Amino acid sequence: MTTYVEAIQKSLVLPLEKVANKVFTQKYNPLYYHGALPNLFLWALFLTGLLLLVYYQATLSTAYASMKYITYQAPFGNAIRSIHRYAADGMMIFVLIHLFRVWFTDRYREYRIIPWISGIVLFTVLFLVGLTGYMLIWDQDAVALTNVTINLLRSFPVIGTGLAGFMLATDLSGSSLITDYTITRMLVLHLGIPLLMMFLLWWHYLRITRPVTDAPLALVLMMVGGLLLVAGAAPVVLGDMAPPDFAVVAKSIHLDGLYAWPQQLALAGWNMGVIWLMVLAVPVGLFVLPYLQKKALRGQFARVVADNCTGCSLCYNDCPYEAITMVDRNDGSRFKRLATVNPEHCANCGLCVGACAFKAIDIPRCESKDVLAEIEAALAGQSLASA
Amino acid sequence: MMATETLSVNAAPPAEALPPIRLIGLVCERSVELEDRLNADGRLLDDPSVKIILVPCSGIIQPLMMETSLKNGAQGCFATGCRIGDCHYREGNKFLQERLLGQRMPKLKPTVDKRRIEAYWLSAVEYDEFRELIESFQSTVSSIPAS
Ligand code: HEM
Ligand code: SF4
Ligand code: SF4
Repeated sequence: MTTYVEAIQKSLVLPLEKVANKVFTQKYNPLYYHGALPNLFLWALFLTGLLLLVYYQATLSTAYASMKYITYQAPFGNAIRSIHRYAADGMMIFVLIHLFRVWFTDRYREYRIIPWISGIVLFTVLFLVGLTGYMLIWDQDAVALTNVTINLLRSFPVIGTGLAGFMLATDLSGSSLITDYTITRMLVLHLGIPLLMMFLLWWHYLRITRPVTDAPLALVLMMVGGLLLVAGAAPVVLGDMAPPDFAVVAKSIHLDGLYAWPQQLALAGWNMGVIWLMVLAVPVGLFVLPYLQKKALRGQFARVVADNCTGCSLCYNDCPYEAITMVDRNDGSRFKRLATVNPEHCANCGLCVGACAFKAIDIPRCESKDVLAEIEAALAGQSLASA
Repeated sequence: MMATETLSVNAAPPAEALPPIRLIGLVCERSVELEDRLNADGRLLDDPSVKIILVPCSGIIQPLMMETSLKNGAQGCFATGCRIGDCHYREGNKFLQERLLGQRMPKLKPTVDKRRIEAYWLSAVEYDEFRELIESFQSTVSSIPAS
């Protein structure tokens, strides 16, 4: 029975990939570097972000002025700002491609549950990085974004006031205000969460042997070239400064569609409860997805024939999901170590079988001796072609 | 299993008419889709001299399996995996490719006639490309003079 994932893979993913192979060639197909490209954009963001930080000032009275300086006066200021902005868009786009690709090629469940769950966390915090970045600009759009975000947070049941409190300070009369602390905290999040992401990526790769984190040079140059081209063709502009009596009027405000869509909906007058349901449905939905599909191969994993294993470690080196450990043996064998499979990690893929020259490891669904027997049976009784 | 023992409903020619098996193909079940293109013996309907054995991933294929095919009289043996870069298990096709090129243990024996060994990297939707490659492999192996 074909699942919806298989149907989408055959009708959409593979034909698209075939086109991409024609355009980019197999070796440089971006779809084959779906995990490496978000990494590339992350580094581009780190680098340009660091340069922006040289001039940025995180206080209410100076933030906008420092952005103005970066945009109009600092050497290469607006170029770096534009690259930072478009790299953020690229990051979200390639993370989405990565997410949909692992989902629709069925690479997101069972023994891959750790990268999937950690991926959802990475995806969620990426939004926070983007949103806080947009607030730091402190032009009219940024002030509007901040106000709408505070209202959205306030509307959250029970803990809403507390959530909004993180963005506000309380004055002597007890009323909540946007102060210097608001901007400082946004900056702390905007810098701190990417650091957290480095830890999350360690979690992401925990069960992946040799994760492909780097794209080939030609593809890197293509992506960087594209980034420079877009930044050059459409440099970002700084909005007007928000007047002291600034009232958020929907039609004069421009918010980013990739990161600030909940705020866009709020500006468009949507019910806050509905927006929150939509926001929460994303991670929760992604979380339950793997459990909606029936397990492919329940309880199957690779088995080692202890008598044949020489402890050569070839299977251990080649296992793509960190499922094999080499353990010391004291069962009287003349070999020192024995390959041992962790059933929870095993993908039942058979790469260890291809690696073993001693017929010492097999997966139940395709035993190597059966393959050899089938070859011999098929050719039995035929004259030798090359003899 | 002998070719004369079972006969698929799909297979047009009667059992006696089936040619001898010339090629053995070890094919990943996720790469080029052959499920509906094989007879009950696993021979390719479009070219019954090709016997296909489906495996879960091209990474499971041992060079020994390909050597065994030639030793037992096949004129050629090919492996088929997904496009390099798109292995479902991340690295299986790349590892097999390296084994066949002699860059990864266990390697193909150096004494094996390399003209009789091929590997193709194709996605599930690339059957036409697969057919072309098999045809050209057929003509290559048939032009090798018997030694
Ligand atoms: C900061 C963003 C992210 C980065 C830099 C990243 C990077 C990577 C890399 C390098 C790999 C290894 C690919 C390979 O070698 O086969 C990987 C695998 C994976 N990622 Fe991500 N990822 C990110 C976000 C996500 C998200 C949002 C999801 C989904 C919710 C996700 C789900 C997965 C899964 C399931 C795998 C395992 C794929 C497999 O085993 O074939 N990742 N990721
Ligand atoms: S089948 Fe072998 S190579 Fe594949 S995950 Fe399991 S132990 Fe590792
Ligand atoms: S490759 Fe085979 S012999 Fe070597 S450690 Fe693994 S199971 Fe043992």
